[in-house]
Amino acid sequence: MLKVRLDSWLSEFGPRGQERVEARSIEQLIEALERKYPRLRFKLRDETGNLRRFVRVFVDGEDVSGRAGVATPLTGSETIDILHSIAGG
Amino acid sequence: MTKKGVVRVLLGTRKGTYVVTGDLARRRWKVGPPAHVGSDVYHVVADPRRPGDLYAAVNDNFWGPMVQRSDDWGRTWREVATPLTPLKKQRNPTFDADHPTASVPRPLNNLWHIEPGRAEESETLYLGADPHYLFRTPDRGATWEPVEAINHHPDRKNWAPGAGGHCLHTILLDPRDANRLYVGLSAVGTFRSDDGGRSWTPKNRGVRTPFLPEKYPETGQCVHHVAMDSADPDTFYRQDHGGMYVSHDRMDHWTRIGRPLGDDFGFGVASPTSAPGLAYFVRLDGRARVTGEGYLQVWEWNGRRRRWRGLLRPNDFPGHFGVQREGIATDTLTPHGVYVGTTTGQLFVSANGGTTWSQVPFQFPGIHSVSVAAPT
Repeated sequence: MLKVRLDSWLSEFGPRGQERVEARSIEQLIEALERKYPRLRFKLRDETGNLRRFVRVFVDGEDVSGRAGVATPLTGSETIDILHSIAGG
Repeated sequence: MTKKGVVRVLLGTRKGTYVVTGDLARRRWKVGPPAHVGSDVYHVVADPRRPGDLYAAVNDNFWGPMVQRSDDWGRTWREVATPLTPLKKQRNPTFDADHPTASVPRPLNNLWHIEPGRAEESETLYLGADPHYLFRTPDRGATWEPVEAINHHPDRKNWAPGAGGHCLHTILLDPRDANRLYVGLSAVGTFRSDDGGRSWTPKNRGVRTPFLPEKYPETGQCVHHVAMDSADPDTFYRQDHGGMYVSHDRMDHWTRIGRPLGDDFGFGVASPTSAPGLAYFVRLDGRARVTGEGYLQVWEWNGRRRRWRGLLRPNDFPGHFGVQREGIATDTLTPHGVYVGTTTGQLFVSANGGTTWSQVPFQFPGIHSVSVAAPT
């Protein structure tokens, strides 16, 4: 099972704190979260399926947002952090 | 005896939504707590068919665009369904390398304008969005349907963005004719439909495009905002990148009225319900995009006299103010109120048709939109 830790800002739309999720890719992981928390739909990803510009996904501490993004494969035992980036003004 | 009641001014700002409540004399104001804190709110509007219902076009930097509704004058809000671009219909097969942006699927970017339907369309709303999309809901936002004939107009391949993006920012409904409606898009121009949105015709004749090689094209105008005259729905007041215009024939022809002002660039325009034939503009310096006079000046166009009148004096509110396309509003009271919100967060109010002005004593975040709910 993946250990998924979510940004406190995400509590507006979905879970608070930590989740346990079964998934083999970031895309599957987000789909699982969206099924459980429908208000998360289109908040982490836009309708093309890509991560929104200021959403950052870390796999065992490594930022995959600007690399494979949602296509990043997972073994199923990683720790995933989903955060919003520092941006704005 | 003072008449009881309140007027509510609705502000969409760079950092959230504000409801500002005043007495009917419009002398005393109370600023409510902000909602959608931290989000860009491009437009907030009251639904005149259901007193208490407000809609906000919320564009959050992190979580994307959202339509939000309040049923209690802004005390609480909740997200209603937000339309999505019909990506599956657009994907790859129609890709044209010469016009890549015309067919590459793009997500919905910012929501620009929410327009409540006519009185007899009790739950209908229209929504204008980037990239150049018009949506309609028959059920107060629970479901949205794209207005395909404008969204896939044959001219779309030529549509360029303005500085604000590919925005469909103006939606106007003819109150006499359920089949007639108008939209304004940047940098495309205005279109009219006479068949309930099933077909659309460009309506930009007479509007100059100083930024294009061809000066009077059929489309390509960067319309900034358009207001409909309340007593004569065939008359429109237009603030375009290329100047200030009026049309008296349902946008078939436009006449430039701003030339006497010199630089007649600007973004906002409004026309008061209780004083037809008048329109308010804020002229901006075309390069700096702030009031070039060095003070706030609101220009009143009187269509009957065909005359301009500056409503403020240089020492009233000195400074360089920016005013965006939804930044000017009027109310339905008599004498009518005029409201101007600035990009630096000041809200200026006249309760007597522009004769005298005051500033609401509160520093707001930069103001995108001002609208006024009917008094209750």
